[in-house]
Amino acid sequence: MTNSRAAAANGQPVLDVRDYSLAYGTPAGPVEALRNVSLSIRPGRTLGLVGESGSGKTSLAWAIMRYLPANAVETSGELVLLGEDLRTKSLEEIQDLRGRRVCMVFQDPGASLNPVLRLGDQIAEALVRHRALSQKDARDEGEAWLARTGISRPSEMMNRYPHEASGGEKQRVVIATAFACNPEMIIFDEPTTALDIITARQILDLFDDLHDETGVTALYISHDLGLVSRVAQDVAVINQGAIVEFGPREHVFTRPSHSYTRDLVEAVPNPDHRIVTSEPDAEDALLSLDEVNVMYGRGKNILSFLQPKREVVQGARNVSFGLRAGEILGIVGESGSGKSTIAKTLAGLQDFEGSVAFGPRSYSGRHKIDRAYRRAVQIVFQHPDASLNPRQTIGKILSRPLKLYDLVPRSERSRRVRDLLRSVFLPEDYAERFPHELSGGEKQRVAIARAFAAEPRLVICDEITSSLDVSVQASVARLLVDLQQKTGTACLFITHDLNLVRQLAHRIAVMRNGDLVDLFESSQARAPERHPYTTQLLDAVPVPVEASQVSSAAERAP
Amino acid sequence: MNELVRHPTGLVGSVLLSLVAIAVILGPFLAPFDPQAFHPAVRLAGPSGTHWLGTDQFGRDILSRLLTGAGPTVLFGVGATALGVLAGSIIGVTAAVAGGWVDSVIMRTLDGLLAVPDLLFTLLIVTILGGGIGEAMLAVAVAFTPGMARIARSSVLSIRTREYVLAAIARDESRAYIIVQEVIPNAIGPIVVEATIRVSFAIMIGATLGFLGLGAQPPSTEWGLMVAEARQYMYRSPWVVAVPGLAIAVAALGFNLFGDALRDAFDPRRRR
Repeated sequence: MTNSRAAAANGQPVLDVRDYSLAYGTPAGPVEALRNVSLSIRPGRTLGLVGESGSGKTSLAWAIMRYLPANAVETSGELVLLGEDLRTKSLEEIQDLRGRRVCMVFQDPGASLNPVLRLGDQIAEALVRHRALSQKDARDEGEAWLARTGISRPSEMMNRYPHEASGGEKQRVVIATAFACNPEMIIFDEPTTALDIITARQILDLFDDLHDETGVTALYISHDLGLVSRVAQDVAVINQGAIVEFGPREHVFTRPSHSYTRDLVEAVPNPDHRIVTSEPDAEDALLSLDEVNVMYGRGKNILSFLQPKREVVQGARNVSFGLRAGEILGIVGESGSGKSTIAKTLAGLQDFEGSVAFGPRSYSGRHKIDRAYRRAVQIVFQHPDASLNPRQTIGKILSRPLKLYDLVPRSERSRRVRDLLRSVFLPEDYAERFPHELSGGEKQRVAIARAFAAEPRLVICDEITSSLDVSVQASVARLLVDLQQKTGTACLFITHDLNLVRQLAHRIAVMRNGDLVDLFESSQARAPERHPYTTQLLDAVPVPVEASQVSSAAERAP
Repeated sequence: MNELVRHPTGLVGSVLLSLVAIAVILGPFLAPFDPQAFHPAVRLAGPSGTHWLGTDQFGRDILSRLLTGAGPTVLFGVGATALGVLAGSIIGVTAAVAGGWVDSVIMRTLDGLLAVPDLLFTLLIVTILGGGIGEAMLAVAVAFTPGMARIARSSVLSIRTREYVLAAIARDESRAYIIVQEVIPNAIGPIVVEATIRVSFAIMIGATLGFLGLGAQPPSTEWGLMVAEARQYMYRSPWVVAVPGLAIAVAALGFNLFGDALRDAFDPRRRR
């Protein structure tokens, strides 16, 4: 780190990207990935690089690591690391530089660790290679770093294989390896996206601590503005390969100069800005679950010995709650908490025990569910790419519920399909198109239109915004609320995004390991009688961008 | 189709298949001589102006025999594959849709059958059914069924849990609608591709059976049989063996390359 200190003394940036352009050659001609990108990171600072999927942020990271695919063409610019242009270096020089001077932490710790090597060996290998330590010193040093990342029994962790550690522990190991190599710069590529909310929060805290402690320079890549506003002192916003905004955090968030940044800042869900205005009719109960239990992996017949033994997992345990007509109920929880199990159960896709009352009727199992129920309860899934049949046109997909439930006469169907498309703000001629010709957000609109085509009384939304970009997310959420208000349909909104759910739900249910642990009015989210787990979840989510918060956070920055 | 031709393998495969198709359709009309006519004066001759690809041990014109033989040979391959794919798909789709113990019983049985090599299995069936081109075709079809069932099943299984299928179940669609409208159109790609590749195997197994005397019987012009009959004259005139052998190779290669290209064209990730 002597170099960086020297750099700090004369104010030279650690990384200086100057007018850098990159294109990928494809049979259809070159596709520009990065256009005249210029940015710099001063010593000891963290630069947050924010952009939506496909904006080129990961391409830039790979370019800095000098690990580009064969069809990449660098058309202009320089990548300067402490005064040396990385583009002019030979392969050996680059190999010497990777890991020793620039490290990278990836999104999925499960994929970045070798599953057949012990964690300790993987840390030690990096230290032996990059810091020329002896095997023994490397292991001691690795263990010390593991301890610094908050792993309680580091020596035990050294002897474990990756599958014996949790996602959070694995990411700690990766981060420990990166910091232990004592590089001048670390690139973090969405290091918390694959983790649960609470674990992600812990990793962020760890990043803050280690950053303060070592003063390493960092490039933090993320799609999440809220998160970047927490970790970075400088922010660069990238859109379609071009940097549209670059400057200190306070400037970018409070006085964004580019309209794209403004849209992005506004699209971040903020619990204080409610989308929903109307209140449901308090008297009118629509649905209620009574002691619903769901088991996974239980053998069902005498021949089950033919199948490999599976453990029984309880997806939902004695879950009971009610839903009023026209109400939006949010269900939140980490992955594996059972929130999707509830969605599948209510959509009639999952065997269950207990009973589900809907209107005047009560259903005591999946096979008891009839067509009237299935028509009245519609589901929208998480992945827009998978929820539309790729071999059917949008028109056919949308007209299917109309035909199945005999809602409109044959002659009226195509007119109704056009109405549906208009109601989700899509052009009418999309009826002739196939799903692959639409973007992710457009496909999700079609899926929503299909659900509302059945004129349902309840729409289940299972993580419908999670696979979409922030800006698209906001518009899809608004569209849903809009339709919900127009039709008076109740809605079960399942998500892991607490800020979003606080914006649009009337009540929020919190699930954990198959249990319903808390159920409260949205306005009561911060009330003292909340379950400790609810408070923990709320504390873990990145703070939405607010002028006041940014200025207070800025004081903390070096 | 454009996708297919843009790949070099697809282009080569398409060209080879077109040649084979022309031979199948127009072969008997293009043949310069009667394929069964003896020309005693020019036995085992090399290529010449009159006999472009030479003659066999009875002085029959090889080009004519090749052209008239294309039909039976290729139709054998296509027919056997079609039967095998049909039976295999029905079994595979049934297993995948039924699930549970039905699936387990069907698949474990087929796994047992898969352990027997194709050719050995075919020979076994031919010995039971007796020789002849129809029996051989049936035997190849039966031998193909377990493999095709496995592919159909895995293809259906991967589609069955897609969200659009779940959406259809949640809508209360009938089982028939879901299978015919939602599952099959999306599962058919890998099956079609595998079938194209298997046509080439079927042609080769057919030729092998012909060679062993268990398939087509003399004086048929089936290519495998042509190789078998000419075997003992191989050293005096390599043409008698090489020409039908090469024809088999071209047809098999054509189907194989075409199948590969078809797989790439069906796979959106490989489509560039």
